[in-house]
Amino acid sequence: MKSVEENPENITQADIVVGIPSYNEADCIAFPTEQADKGLSKYFKDRSCVIVNCDNNSPDDTRRVFMQTATVNPKIYVSTPPDVRGKGNNLRNLFAKAVELSASAVVVVDADLASVTPQWIRNLAEPLLEEFDYVSPLYVRHKYEGTIATNIAYPLTRALYGRRVRQPIGGDFGFSGKMVRIFNETEDWTDDVGQYGIDIWMTTVAMRSHAPIIQSFMGKPKVQMPKGPAPDLGPTFAQVVGTIFDLMCAYDEFWKVVKWSRPTAVFGFGLGEMEIPPTVDVNVQGLWEKFSTGVEGRWDFYRSFMPSATFDKLEEVAGLPREAFEFPPVLWAKVLYDFACAYKKQVAPREDLIQGLVPLYHGRTLSFVLETEPMNTQQVEELIEDQCLQFEKCKPYLLERWAAD
Amino acid sequence: MAKILIVDDEEGIRMLYSMELEDEGYQVITLADGKELLEVVEREQPDCLVLDIKMKEYNGLDLLQQIRKKHYDLPVILNSAYSSFKVDLKAVAADYYVVKSSDLTELKEKLKAALETKIPKE
Repeated sequence: MKSVEENPENITQADIVVGIPSYNEADCIAFPTEQADKGLSKYFKDRSCVIVNCDNNSPDDTRRVFMQTATVNPKIYVSTPPDVRGKGNNLRNLFAKAVELSASAVVVVDADLASVTPQWIRNLAEPLLEEFDYVSPLYVRHKYEGTIATNIAYPLTRALYGRRVRQPIGGDFGFSGKMVRIFNETEDWTDDVGQYGIDIWMTTVAMRSHAPIIQSFMGKPKVQMPKGPAPDLGPTFAQVVGTIFDLMCAYDEFWKVVKWSRPTAVFGFGLGEMEIPPTVDVNVQGLWEKFSTGVEGRWDFYRSFMPSATFDKLEEVAGLPREAFEFPPVLWAKVLYDFACAYKKQVAPREDLIQGLVPLYHGRTLSFVLETEPMNTQQVEELIEDQCLQFEKCKPYLLERWAAD
Repeated sequence: MAKILIVDDEEGIRMLYSMELEDEGYQVITLADGKELLEVVEREQPDCLVLDIKMKEYNGLDLLQQIRKKHYDLPVILNSAYSSFKVDLKAVAADYYVVKSSDLTELKEKLKAALETKIPKE
């Protein structure tokens, strides 16, 4: 895959690699590069380290800005060929480079991070030098931030694979040299994984590989451009959900025997006071319109693959007035399970299926926003945990539907 | 028969839980504090630990951290009169958190889930 490499110090080995995937991040990349350098110098000064910018051949000045950022630790620039884009493809280059460098630990931080600190590098890398192979971040997040993770990725992966990883698509991760080799050799790679499906792919592959996983408490909120649940989901939704469904098909022999779930260890206690995350504004009217107009004209489609009890309940929910709108988590779990089964059986082109799920996701998000509006972060987390339990309790429904012709 | 270890400094709780859980067919052993918890876990090999948080001389969250260093596969249910400890990140290491009540329905439900949990091993 790698097309371009710039390795001015001719680095051939590194214990710790910090990877920064990018596309057109010339305005932002200097900051995470400096923070990564400080973290490596402060916490891992006895180790050989390198910072790698894995880029999509950005036409802006990303490469020059990265290479000219002053650092103590050496830097390497790698890029995909000019016509290849996507975070996943960047990380694929990083996996190959990390194997080449015989790295023991690899940390990935996003190029547009405004809140990364040297401590983040420590928290994502240190567990890898002990007994863990995969580190997932645990940020302080606003209750409306990351609704794809809250309403889809977390409850689904937890119910399927039995591991509680709260932010499985957090964007910043750590993985061991052993895990990188597994990533490098895993063949379940799709176009979606090459894009934003990569985060859930890595987390799922780690779970499927029985890797020792830990969640690392980052202390500070993740600050980028806030991505609220409305108005535009962009391609991320389809890439994440498509990857979850693809992996469900690939790993069904594993998840079919999983029952309930187990906690995942947390690293990074005692980082001081938690910072309050920036507020995420939600366009409630926008969510309502996307739900109500999105389901119009799709009822026959939904009826074609949902059991009548689930379909009837969904129709009932769609008939509720906005003021009293509620999309119960049990129904949401069954709807997602029905879509996963329809995806497996290819009852429609897979792109159409995922587009058909989008308005229902808007409906569930609207219900979540309305229900949690008066709640504090802790109360919302309890509600999310309860939603996860509903997914686990509904798993027999999935198993029955998955096995049906 | 699944073996349940209950750690609670209130005698009344230990008696109530023992009676009700034995009626459910569990074998119950109890400890009044965390002093010998690790030794008892090693010796008795319980199938699940029900752990009080706020005890006179011990903090269940700290005991949980010690347990997790050696016994990650042991299901642990934190059991407290207070829901406020749920905020503590250390509580994430527990399988479940149940607020104490004279009605043990939720505790029994979580106990059943903890004992039924199945994830394929390597």
